[in-house]
Amino acid sequence: MNFDVIVVGAGHAGVEAAYAAARLGCSVGLCTLSRGTVAHMPCNPAVGGTAKGHLVREIDALGGLMGRAIDATGLQFKLLNRSRGPAVWSPRAQADKQRYATWVTNALEREPNITWIFGRAGRVLASHGRVEGLAMEDGDSHACSALIVTTGTFLNGLIHVGLEQRPAGRHGEPPSRDLAESIRAFGFQGGRLKTGTPPRLDRRSIDFDARVGDESWTVEPGDPVPVPFSFATTVPLRNRMHCWLLYTNERVRDLVRSNIDRSPLYNGQIRGIGPRYCPSLEDKIMRFPERERHQVYLEPEGLDVNEIYVNGLSMSLPRDIQETLVRALPGLEDAHMLRPGYAVEYDFVQPTELRSSLETHRVEGLFFAGQINGTSGYEEAAAQGIVAGLNGAKRARRELPIIFRRDEAYIGVLVDDLVTRGCLEPYRMFTSRAEHRLLLRIDNADLRLTPLGRQAGLVDDEQWTRFEARRDRYDRNLAMLSKALIRSASGARIPAAQLLRQPGVRLDALAEDHRVDLAFDLCSRELDLSSVETVVKYEGYLKREVALVERTRKEGGRRIPHDFQYFGVPGLSHEVVDRLSHVRPETLGQAARIPGMTPAALAVLGAHVGRTPPAAMLP
Amino acid sequence: MFATDDAIVAIATPQGRGGIGVVRVSGASALSIAASILESDGPLQPRHATFTRLRAGTRTVLDEVVATFFQAPHSYTGQDVVEISAHGSPVVLNDLVHRALDAGARLAEPGEFTFRAYLNGKRDLVQAEAVADLIDAATPLQARVAFDQLEGTLTRRIGEIDADLFDLTARLEASLDFPDEGYHFIDPEETANRISAVIKAFDRLLVDASRGRMIREGATVVISGRTNVGKSSIFNALSGTCRAIVTDIHGTTRDLVTETIDIGGLAVTLVDTAGSRETADIVEREGVVRAARARQVAALVLIVLDGSDPFVYDDDRTLLAETAGQLRLVVFNKCDLECPQSGTFVDVPSGHRVDSDELVRVSAKTLDGIDRLRHSVVQALSGGELLRDTASMSNTRHIRLVEFARGHLVAAHAAVASGAAPEEFVLTDLQSARSRLDEIVGVRTTEDVLRHIFERFCIGK
Repeated sequence: MNFDVIVVGAGHAGVEAAYAAARLGCSVGLCTLSRGTVAHMPCNPAVGGTAKGHLVREIDALGGLMGRAIDATGLQFKLLNRSRGPAVWSPRAQADKQRYATWVTNALEREPNITWIFGRAGRVLASHGRVEGLAMEDGDSHACSALIVTTGTFLNGLIHVGLEQRPAGRHGEPPSRDLAESIRAFGFQGGRLKTGTPPRLDRRSIDFDARVGDESWTVEPGDPVPVPFSFATTVPLRNRMHCWLLYTNERVRDLVRSNIDRSPLYNGQIRGIGPRYCPSLEDKIMRFPERERHQVYLEPEGLDVNEIYVNGLSMSLPRDIQETLVRALPGLEDAHMLRPGYAVEYDFVQPTELRSSLETHRVEGLFFAGQINGTSGYEEAAAQGIVAGLNGAKRARRELPIIFRRDEAYIGVLVDDLVTRGCLEPYRMFTSRAEHRLLLRIDNADLRLTPLGRQAGLVDDEQWTRFEARRDRYDRNLAMLSKALIRSASGARIPAAQLLRQPGVRLDALAEDHRVDLAFDLCSRELDLSSVETVVKYEGYLKREVALVERTRKEGGRRIPHDFQYFGVPGLSHEVVDRLSHVRPETLGQAARIPGMTPAALAVLGAHVGRTPPAAMLP
Repeated sequence: MFATDDAIVAIATPQGRGGIGVVRVSGASALSIAASILESDGPLQPRHATFTRLRAGTRTVLDEVVATFFQAPHSYTGQDVVEISAHGSPVVLNDLVHRALDAGARLAEPGEFTFRAYLNGKRDLVQAEAVADLIDAATPLQARVAFDQLEGTLTRRIGEIDADLFDLTARLEASLDFPDEGYHFIDPEETANRISAVIKAFDRLLVDASRGRMIREGATVVISGRTNVGKSSIFNALSGTCRAIVTDIHGTTRDLVTETIDIGGLAVTLVDTAGSRETADIVEREGVVRAARARQVAALVLIVLDGSDPFVYDDDRTLLAETAGQLRLVVFNKCDLECPQSGTFVDVPSGHRVDSDELVRVSAKTLDGIDRLRHSVVQALSGGELLRDTASMSNTRHIRLVEFARGHLVAAHAAVASGAAPEEFVLTDLQSARSRLDEIVGVRTTEDVLRHIFERFCIGK
């Protein structure tokens, strides 16, 4: 068949990519093994968390699936960092894996521009540096203008449990070798990464009721009033299940230590680099011997399934040791292990091979998104999916790519970090990675991005109408706060905004005490109000941040032509020339963020690329 | 990344004392910066040298200068350039640079004028490559190496302070990004305490900075006291000359007598002054006024008292009160006659405290104690540290960066202490402070912050 865009893989990157391209009106072929492999969560049954929750809100503001899917199927909702400032509040939810996957599959089924391609992808078809289509392993082939590869951990995936190894992309699914070979043939730089997952236990073998009152177990409930991920969610959310917190003990420690030579992580069997922020149990115990105990969360994987995810116990020790080790935990003496934890090694492509649109430098029309680019996490994958889907569609229509800036979205930070710095370990988003964090809040994700999404064609009429109402509400509330005069403690009548700026004064209480008439959506009251409260209360900080952004854009926004020849520019060292030629930064700002760049090299570069008018400015 | 069209300023003539020194400003706003520094009727004319004065203002130095305007593209850099020629004293030239900074210029990187000349086609490529090397040397890593050779201890000290600040920001970041890891990273009280500790460390550094400048540029030491206590004798004893006339007559010295001498490696301008007393003599009265003025600009004041008869006279007490906030030494002269011993005079009758380490006992007649006085002068001026090992900042750029960083920290501290802003807002101030120090100790990215966290804490499930 003939498509505008083909997406290989229907994980979190793939589904968002396909959905985004389809909304732009492109015909999309979505290639996956079967309908049963869509939007899987092979690791933890959760969406969101610090910075990841920001990504989900942004995906939602751009019309993506993830926020609505988790709101519709989540089991428990929490707003992390509630005691901190509004810029680091982050929603997190426990997911019902099966229902989540079904919800997303149904949403894709309803999208008329998407056609399933069931089967195993074989080869990328390209000639003269341009993508032409996709060949399947069974011999079929499909033509397209843009091909988006989102193969996760499947490229030469190798699973380790103890000394056993078997080629696999995920638990029970074979890896993609032909596709890996076909991609390698283009000459992309890449490497090998490693990630892992903990064992799953049978819910029926754990006596949860007996643990009530047990001091070694703590119930982890959801928030009393859950905050939704999606701006579209208008039904109050409900918590349906608890999680439980317990701790490792000396027996667990001793078991790991005495069997460390049977861990593929420690006997040299695994070469790939794992994430530091998500260490295996082996690493926790060997690298932090001073820490007496480590947290273990028991998290249900769904309402209708018996799997309990043992968060914190990711490991690749042999099966029998994992079983003994789990049963060494308090209250899990009789637990039955449904399947052991494992480590998986897989190939990734250095994302410095990509432009900010996630299109490869080497092959026009070929895009990569998700874990193949060295990231980890469903949210990071989904965020790249939207960018690749949007720009795949733009490529198919021969239009200019749309790039999100670092100062307008975590999505922008994510992509820019990837394409300018590359990956040395699996990349996870943190709020500390966003230098303009104060501006990138969950409460204003829609204000920042929905107009851009509308312009790009990602946001449909329904979402746009809802957004316009919300923006009106926001504007009205801001005007109300500067207009309404209220009596302060000293008796003087002052604008409500002035009182709100004082430390410790919260908008919620202020509006109530002084009867300030604010408008809000009942279901998202907290974030509706917080978007207003934050810009009033921290006006000084935000203004300074905006000024900083403007300065940075002025200095860094100058464009570098894609075919700029770095070789032969006087004053640039060979090292710098090599690095620049590989990364091919699109702006001076990007060049500045490449590791190893010096101020002098930048100044020389700036002088040589000449001046482009402000209209051509990029992030 | 540095811009190529903002205004930059630097001293264009070689370091050290010369007859004439030149400060150069280059950039589109060079003319307006010059206008805010110079007292001048109307704008400077291109390619004309204009004789004028520096504007009175917050800066103390008032001097006559010659300003020359080179209009773009007919200048060294190809941009608008104003060159201000003044007397070659480092004090005057530094003051000029500071005025330009206040007016919106920034300090030029090494080689930056030549670099701009290259950008504007004023230099050819061969020269430009050499210039690129030069500027490359100004990037933190190489700069640090070069700098270490000169003032290793300073970089180390700033580095230590920066390390504290870095650890503090990393902990705060960790507390935001990893809220449910079961770690107590830091709390607001601890944050406030650690910020104020860093501010204090900067304060000490800045105090040393002024000393450092003295060492490099020389210091003025003024000898003060009542008439006839032996100021001129001490002047002669210290300088090893007979420049000052010594008699038994009250009020012999009437004008300032100066001599530049070397004390322990320091270039010291020693100033003898008229003795303070009420007098009807017009010449002597003018001398007393000049003496007072000299004291005000002195880096160090030597207050000479008659050791056999100290603190008895009002003039002595007035002098002590006037100089209470200044760096000073109290010298008991005539100790060959009769000189009270240890500590007796720490509490002055009028209540003005004199610390015992400010006291030196000498006899200008027998030269007893003169070496001790020399030693005390060096100690006072160099902050008690051995000169070759001093960790003081004398580089204008570094002082300015540390001052900026300190300003951001003060704001951060206020926000934490008052609870006016949550952590992520406070962190913007801490990051601003750190980015100033980056220029001295090298850039550290968020990657480094994360590495710092992951090395110390077991994060992740």
